[in-house]
Amino acid sequence: MENKTPAIEIEKLGKVYTRGKEEVTAIQEISLKIPEGKFVSIVGPSGCGKSTFLHIVGGFIPKSSGKVRIRGKEVDKPGPDRGMMFQESALFPWKNVFDNVAWGLEIQGMEKSKRDEVVEHYLKLVNLWDFRKNLPSELSGGMKQRISLARVLAFNPDVLLMDEPFGALDAQTREKMQVELQRIWQESNKSVMFVTHDIDEAVFLSDIVVVFSGRPAVVKEIIEIDFQRPRTLDVHKTQEFMDIRNHIWDLLHQEQGTSDEEGM
Amino acid sequence: MDKRLQKIAAIEIVVLLAIWQALASLEWIPAYLSSPYVVGSEMWALIVSGELFTNAASSLYRSLVSFLLVMVLGIVLGIAAGFFKPVGIFFQPIVDVLNPVPKIALLPILMVWFGISDTTRILLIFLTAFFPCFIATKDGVHGVKQVFVWAAENMGASKFQILWKVILPASLPKIFDGLRVSLGLTFVMMFSSEMIGSSNGLGLGFMILLADMAGRTDLMFVSVFFIALLGFLFDRILLAVRARLLWWSENRG
Repeated sequence: MENKTPAIEIEKLGKVYTRGKEEVTAIQEISLKIPEGKFVSIVGPSGCGKSTFLHIVGGFIPKSSGKVRIRGKEVDKPGPDRGMMFQESALFPWKNVFDNVAWGLEIQGMEKSKRDEVVEHYLKLVNLWDFRKNLPSELSGGMKQRISLARVLAFNPDVLLMDEPFGALDAQTREKMQVELQRIWQESNKSVMFVTHDIDEAVFLSDIVVVFSGRPAVVKEIIEIDFQRPRTLDVHKTQEFMDIRNHIWDLLHQEQGTSDEEGM
Repeated sequence: MDKRLQKIAAIEIVVLLAIWQALASLEWIPAYLSSPYVVGSEMWALIVSGELFTNAASSLYRSLVSFLLVMVLGIVLGIAAGFFKPVGIFFQPIVDVLNPVPKIALLPILMVWFGISDTTRILLIFLTAFFPCFIATKDGVHGVKQVFVWAAENMGASKFQILWKVILPASLPKIFDGLRVSLGLTFVMMFSSEMIGSSNGLGLGFMILLADMAGRTDLMFVSVFFIALLGFLFDRILLAVRARLLWWSENRG
């Protein structure tokens, strides 16, 4: 395990914004290794820069310093090696569900017959094959995010990056999606970096939870979670789960003072 | 449109024409306001002789060439200005200065340059109708959600693919709003541009000018009516194209 190249390796990553004449440090210096096949969540007080961090790993926002490596290869632009799922639906409203999932494959020049096969496979995986001819605007928020997941999985990235993908969903849909995601993730065997502000969600889904401090962000603690998989929602009721959750809660709330000043 | 509303619109037009005719027959309005009957028979005569169509063809040619230029340049430059920051910065002052200028004020310059010609007319129409299309397109590009572009980049799309397959369709609803304003202006300016006189003696606007000189208000009404009809027709064509292209959009109506 130790000798293997990590799926994602972040080395001394820093981010400084210039706001007017002022320089604001969003991310101090973060180093992190995400082993192949693991589900890793990042939690932190709101406004701590965890979402910025993920966007930098995705290559969407430029970093100020440090390095990002995917399976040992340094990256600084977006690419299909990292599949990003956004909080807001990024499905194209002018394409139906099927064509949305096929879009990336077409761009990458996959031939039609192969493409159709892949799209069918992933739409069935997320249980939305019956909705292939619908427009995204005809689907619920939860369905849209499942389609987004299928679209990202379809182009077969090395790692998945997820930025609060269930943030806009109601509590019940959210829990269902977490169980769904666990199932799909176990089938796909991808390494995942998942950003959330929901401690329960992080603990339920993850092998590893990384706790960020408030601005400027540094890694405060890394917590391994080893409940058996597949986990059911009942795991929430165990003492172990609650202990971990309370511990993370305490870590985040030591930060409250600084994060409140920063606002969102 | 709703069938009932269509009926109401038809009835409204008939009633207004009837009132006009009644007022004219009773001679309650001066003769220079003409009447639907006189205008109608004059129009029929011009249709039978084919004169109306040759005039309309001349006007339409000027309008549609201008509109085509507006469409191509307005959309291409609008997208470029919206997507590539330096291009946007380059166009900003030009648009800011030229947009509020009544383009008809440039007519003397255009006439010195190109004489009383179709080039002058087409340029005048183009200059007027270009800005709404350009500005709406640029705004449309700015309004495209960042995640659409990110998602496309994520899937490995090139700059060109992003422009063509993401930016263009995503800003199409806005582009059509701009095109509709531009099309209306095209017809307004078609008339104005012919008031300078016609090089080939043809054009609906020029017909009005001639009718005015001859004191023939009935001919003027024929021409005005025909311009309105053409404007309406082309607006409907544009709406039909939009409904086809924007079938996915909520505001395709």
